Amino acid sequence: MGDISIEALTKNYGPLVALNGVSMAVAPGEIVGLIGPNGAGKSTLMKIVVGILRPTSGTVRVSGHDVVQEPEAAKKLIGYVPENPSLYTALTVSEFLRFVGKIRGVADGELETRIADSLRTFSLQDKADALVGSLSKGMKQKVALTAATLHNPDILILDEPLTALDPKTQAFVHGWISSQGKEGKTVLLSTHNLDIVQDYATRIVIIDRGNVIATGGLESLRRLADTKADARLDEVFLKLTEDLQ
Amino acid sequence: MKHASPSPLGGWRIMFLLARYWLKGRMTRAALLWILFGEGGAIVFIAFGSQTFLAFSSRFNVGGGFSEFALSLLLAFILVGLLQSGFSGSGLPVTTADVDYVFTSPVRPREIFGAKVLMNSLTTVLFSFPPMLFLYLELALHDGTSLWSAFPAGLATLLFLLTGLILSADVTLSLSSGLAPRMKLLRNALVVGVAALGILPVVLLIPGSPSYLGPVAEVLPSGLTAAISVGVVNGSPWSLALAADVALLFVWFAGSLSLGVRMSRRHFYEVLQVTDAEESGLATRSIGTGGRLLTSGRSLWRVVRDKEGVVMRRSKELRGLLVSSLFLSVFMVIYALAGTFQSSPTSFLFILFLVGSFGSGNASGWLEKERLWIIKTSSLDLRRYVREVYVARVTPLLLFLTPVTLAVGIPLIWEKLGQPDSYPILLALPAALEVAAVMMGGGMYFASRNGQSTTDDILSSQAQQLTDVKRFLYQTLVNLALVSPIMGLVLVAAQTPALIPLSPIPLAVTLFVASGAYTYGILLRLLNASGDWIRKREDL
Repeated sequence: MGDISIEALTKNYGPLVALNGVSMAVAPGEIVGLIGPNGAGKSTLMKIVVGILRPTSGTVRVSGHDVVQEPEAAKKLIGYVPENPSLYTALTVSEFLRFVGKIRGVADGELETRIADSLRTFSLQDKADALVGSLSKGMKQKVALTAATLHNPDILILDEPLTALDPKTQAFVHGWISSQGKEGKTVLLSTHNLDIVQDYATRIVIIDRGNVIATGGLESLRRLADTKADARLDEVFLKLTEDLQ
Repeated sequence: MKHASPSPLGGWRIMFLLARYWLKGRMTRAALLWILFGEGGAIVFIAFGSQTFLAFSSRFNVGGGFSEFALSLLLAFILVGLLQSGFSGSGLPVTTADVDYVFTSPVRPREIFGAKVLMNSLTTVLFSFPPMLFLYLELALHDGTSLWSAFPAGLATLLFLLTGLILSADVTLSLSSGLAPRMKLLRNALVVGVAALGILPVVLLIPGSPSYLGPVAEVLPSGLTAAISVGVVNGSPWSLALAADVALLFVWFAGSLSLGVRMSRRHFYEVLQVTDAEESGLATRSIGTGGRLLTSGRSLWRVVRDKEGVVMRRSKELRGLLVSSLFLSVFMVIYALAGTFQSSPTSFLFILFLVGSFGSGNASGWLEKERLWIIKTSSLDLRRYVREVYVARVTPLLLFLTPVTLAVGIPLIWEKLGQPDSYPILLALPAALEVAAVMMGGGMYFASRNGQSTTDDILSSQAQQLTDVKRFLYQTLVNLALVSPIMGLVLVAAQTPALIPLSPIPLAVTLFVASGAYTYGILLRLLNASGDWIRKREDL
């Protein structure tokens, strides 16, 4: 099981401070919902964790591996779905998954079985020989989710995984994320769909303008926001982010 | 509220308004600079091409009839290309913004068609007229006729291009009719028909062939244009036949325009859907096992190379490369037959430049900027990844270019074997491939460093900023600097027997090894630096 530890993480884009000394941790087996307004710094944080962006200062450790000092060791433990995944449209679904499996170090003997299982899980069996470019947005999202789990990573970083999915598939993905948590995977999930965070996240982190403004379970956030005991997460979120303004 | 039906005047206003804003969007300072660069490049190419052609026609003593045939054939190829682009749905290029804002507005489809024709006409005039004028001025100079004759000849060719563009748009518009299901058959029939008519006059080159076959190509706008332009430039007096040709060319233009106006009465947005559906159909077609990406039992890097090959094949990049190589081969063989290589040692620089430029163009597709997250979030060594991708992309390039260089080089080497002036030829042939390989490496390096600054990426976009122009110039200069030692070695090769006391074969081997070692070293540096840039850049 993997964990993520972030300490005093700052990321600047020129004069813009995207992350301002963020510190947080994701314990093994946790499902952490990372929520915040547009431009809060959620995707930047996730991209630093997966090794696409470099921090301006601060450290990020994935199961003890510093993502800057030991990027390869950290990357092996992570499965990532970006906000708008762009895939190899000229490859078929099965070819794309084989390619990803190979670069993620899945052994030949296991690869075909894992691809078959994943395709079944995401109901993509009949699309195995279709070119990725011919799929709908929702199907492509499913392929991206499949690719992220092929190497059986300890940690899943999911940036807006429900984008472009129809309600039925969204419900399926809700259940799938929950099952990943039950299997002991560590999940860092960024989404604007607060229902899924309320229903499945073991902990919630609210980020705004590069700062973590609140963290904890729904109960503690309700107390922090001074809302009713049965307030939904969207009310809590609005209260906390409005208070900041 | 009742709206008045739009008057024809209102229609014209809308057309001019749309064309004006489309042009505003296109004609940035950078786009204008690209037009100037493009025209400069076209003029250089025309100068080389026409000089080669004139040397060839002088050597084989063929007259103006051959010029007319050659021009007619060239224009017929352009016409075939335009018709094919029409069938693929690109006859009326429409952007997503057009679909979202113009097609959803109350502007009538006919006005959209008119505005597109207006805009295409203006950009064609801006881009094509100066190079065409240059070509005809060169022909007039060669024939010793009035330089003013180049203007009507250029105007006739311009009218042909406009007619071709409108015909291409007509074909695209026709896709929304019941023709679409029979599209493949129609496309093949039309393309083969036009090509056959364009090529038919070649039989005139056979002694004793019937002379009535000559004017057959004049049924097409390409043949008419060739007859008018070459006739005018050759100093032929105005005759009834020439006037009839001009009238017929206008009939083609007016006919294709009226057809387009008529077909654009209905909303032709569906045409775009037809194009999408066709692509989708292609995308879901069954893929033979031979073309599949297989991973079982293969090394990681072999899979990376194979993936690149599969992507290149399916995105038709390889086919484009093959077609370009075929054109280059034909050009090279004509160039060799013209005797230019034998008479001018510096013409090898032209081979190097021409063959090498293929490498730069071929590098553009590799970056896959939006997909690099897949690679960057894996634990792959990015330097090695770039090198493997390079190997996958350079192999077909060299395979296609090798026959071209051999076809030109072997007869020349055979003629001069054992003589000191055979060294430049011996060295120029592998050097041409080395230049292509280095230019490709340079293209990949600049793509990884500057994202869009490869030739194709920049030229494909009308809205690039001036910084991209500067980057392109910088890339071109650096690429030229990188290949200059290889080219320099070719230039001084003839003098090396006097400078290096070695017998011919060891000397030739030494020159070849020196050139190869330089190429290997510079490529390694370029590709490793590309990998480093990909790792460092945060926008990829």
